[in-house]
Amino acid sequence: MTMDRALDLYDIQGNICKGYGRFGFPKARYFFLEFHQYAGARAFLQQLIPLITTAEPWSEKDHPDQSDKPQATTNIGFTYAGLSALGLPRRSLDGFPLEFRMGMKNRAGILGDEGPSDPANWDPVWQGEPVHAWLSVNGQSRQAVVDRYRQIEQLLQQSQGSVTIRPGHKGPQGSLQPWQDASAVYENGRVTPKEHFGYVDGIGNPYFAGCGNDPSRLPGRGKLTRDDGWQPLATGEFILGHIDEAREYPIAPEPHLLALNGTFMVYRKLHENVTTFNRYVDRLATDFDGSRELLMAKFSGRWPDNGAPLVLAPDDAAKAELDQQLAQLTAKAAAGDHTAATELRALKAKWIDFTYNKDRHGSRCPIGAHIRRANTRAALETEKDAFNTPSALDDRRRLLRRGLPYGGEDETPADDTEQGIIFMCIGASLERQFEFVQQQWINYSNDFHLGNDRDVLIGANNGQLTDKHIIQVNPKQGKAPFFCTHLPRMVETRGGDYFFLPGITALRMIAQGIIDPT
Amino acid sequence: MANKFGNSYGLTTLCPLINGHQQHTSFDKITRHRIQLLEENSGSPFARIPDTYFARLFILNDVFFEQGNNVARDHLQSKYLVFTSNFHGDLEPYLQGMWNNAEADVRHIWQYAVAFDKVQNAADFIRYIKRCQLTTTLFFNGSTDDSLQQQLKSLYVKQAFTEFALQHQGKPVAELRAAFKTFMQQLQIDNIETPSWQPGQTQL
Repeated sequence: MTMDRALDLYDIQGNICKGYGRFGFPKARYFFLEFHQYAGARAFLQQLIPLITTAEPWSEKDHPDQSDKPQATTNIGFTYAGLSALGLPRRSLDGFPLEFRMGMKNRAGILGDEGPSDPANWDPVWQGEPVHAWLSVNGQSRQAVVDRYRQIEQLLQQSQGSVTIRPGHKGPQGSLQPWQDASAVYENGRVTPKEHFGYVDGIGNPYFAGCGNDPSRLPGRGKLTRDDGWQPLATGEFILGHIDEAREYPIAPEPHLLALNGTFMVYRKLHENVTTFNRYVDRLATDFDGSRELLMAKFSGRWPDNGAPLVLAPDDAAKAELDQQLAQLTAKAAAGDHTAATELRALKAKWIDFTYNKDRHGSRCPIGAHIRRANTRAALETEKDAFNTPSALDDRRRLLRRGLPYGGEDETPADDTEQGIIFMCIGASLERQFEFVQQQWINYSNDFHLGNDRDVLIGANNGQLTDKHIIQVNPKQGKAPFFCTHLPRMVETRGGDYFFLPGITALRMIAQGIIDPT
Repeated sequence: MANKFGNSYGLTTLCPLINGHQQHTSFDKITRHRIQLLEENSGSPFARIPDTYFARLFILNDVFFEQGNNVARDHLQSKYLVFTSNFHGDLEPYLQGMWNNAEADVRHIWQYAVAFDKVQNAADFIRYIKRCQLTTTLFFNGSTDDSLQQQLKSLYVKQAFTEFALQHQGKPVAELRAAFKTFMQQLQIDNIETPSWQPGQTQL
């Protein structure tokens, strides 16, 4: 008997265990399918399967031969309507969780998709009946994406109308596109990990048992132990058919093989009102005691330029010191100084490996800052030893984020141009993880004792006096906290849905039409 | 005394309902219907009963078992009107206040409770409720043990002060001082009755 068994990474779709972004795939194209005739649709899937990318390891260490890493990847997920159109048996369909069966549009009340984010205002692709499948192509270059897309387009043509692309994504200059292109943001021709407000994004994704990632990535990404250590989160928090943090199997459809190594994904097009954001920050910065960058950091919890957490550098002076230290170590390491290289790695590890234990009042990182809401890192254990483990309340609400920015390439970003983030997040329970975080931690603050406050960046704020964010101060310093009032809607939902990402075995069985729950 | 926590009181009562019917409708159904027709929020009779933090009425039909077969199953001999209330102060003055402020509602709701026909006045009502009382430690978590008026005023002050702070951030000292003086005059912090939230009020 062994406690942990290695996951079959060749049976899990790619981008789940490790994010493509980190492996040099800055370009992507997402498109959505409709199945019109299920025999033809299954035949299409059978031809598509050889193109599907798995979670097989590709890091330099695992595969010294770089050619192992493909130029482009392909992945697929299905909505409930899609699985139904593929002829899955009723009993299998009924085994899917309610929120998945309902779809994102019908969960608008829970998700705070109201006003400008109301589904009635979403891109045309999301209007009417739900789409059936999501296809994603990530590429090391735009050309690699286009080449792979054309390959899939040919398969679609061969399906003779059984499978078509549902168009209707708003693109640049008022255009409607058949697909959604996404791309990392470039500065001076170089890829950056930033989004369009100017923040470094996508830091600190969860680490779970069996994910195959380098164990040096565990601190800060796993779950906290009583002795301030980190352990991998249970596999079942992210992959179906495996035990989760409650020592249970996640809710999943029958038969077991349909769910095994599959998972659920949220796809959400989040428009960023860049003008509104910049104007708001500019206006507030004149009254704020600190730089514009510090104010931005106090919204998100990380410094916009390099993602350093406020816990590590809580003010402009500390940030300048950190930047200097970083520059020195980087230069020395580049010159071959091994000690400096080790120190640099240790310093960069602090970007991820931290808690709020010494920042209970939020004088470093505000209690309502974006990263402190979305990943609470044991901050909810306000009384010592209240829970079995310090992060017990957080461990079941973790999100694997796998998105990319879109737009901003052909026009200068403003409110009425098309740019934002394709937010994709993966987890074994949409309701317990994504929906809970969105409803309770992003758009509400009871757990943080902040009343009705919402997230500055992605909360459903409406510009009212009490749409606010508090920048706390050390109560012993005799300074006043700073109130950010009249928060406008910085981000608007422009569409999305919930998708089931089957394992490779299940995908084959769906394509063969042999899913049998009896 | 287990029912008391500081200055707050957790009352739990089970009043048996008469087994029987009136024009094809059982007494428990009539009682439930009457409860369900009670007005909500400011119109609720509980909004008129002084110092009520949180109160609830429901009908207990029976006890439920989730075990499998071959288990001896007990049943209740009648259905019960369950009345729970968390309030400020002691039991007798509270029930006196309930009778004085909502006698008609009390008579209407308890009409088919066993032996309630003998209740003629506040003293009878107090005696009756005490007979039906359970010793519990069931308290509503979300309230201090101050008087209701004190709590409502506190909430009002907190909310008003938050808005004042948001509106006046960064103002020059003299202006801030003048504005605060006006604010304090409007707030009438020593006047517990007004301006304040009213019992049962849910929206400004």
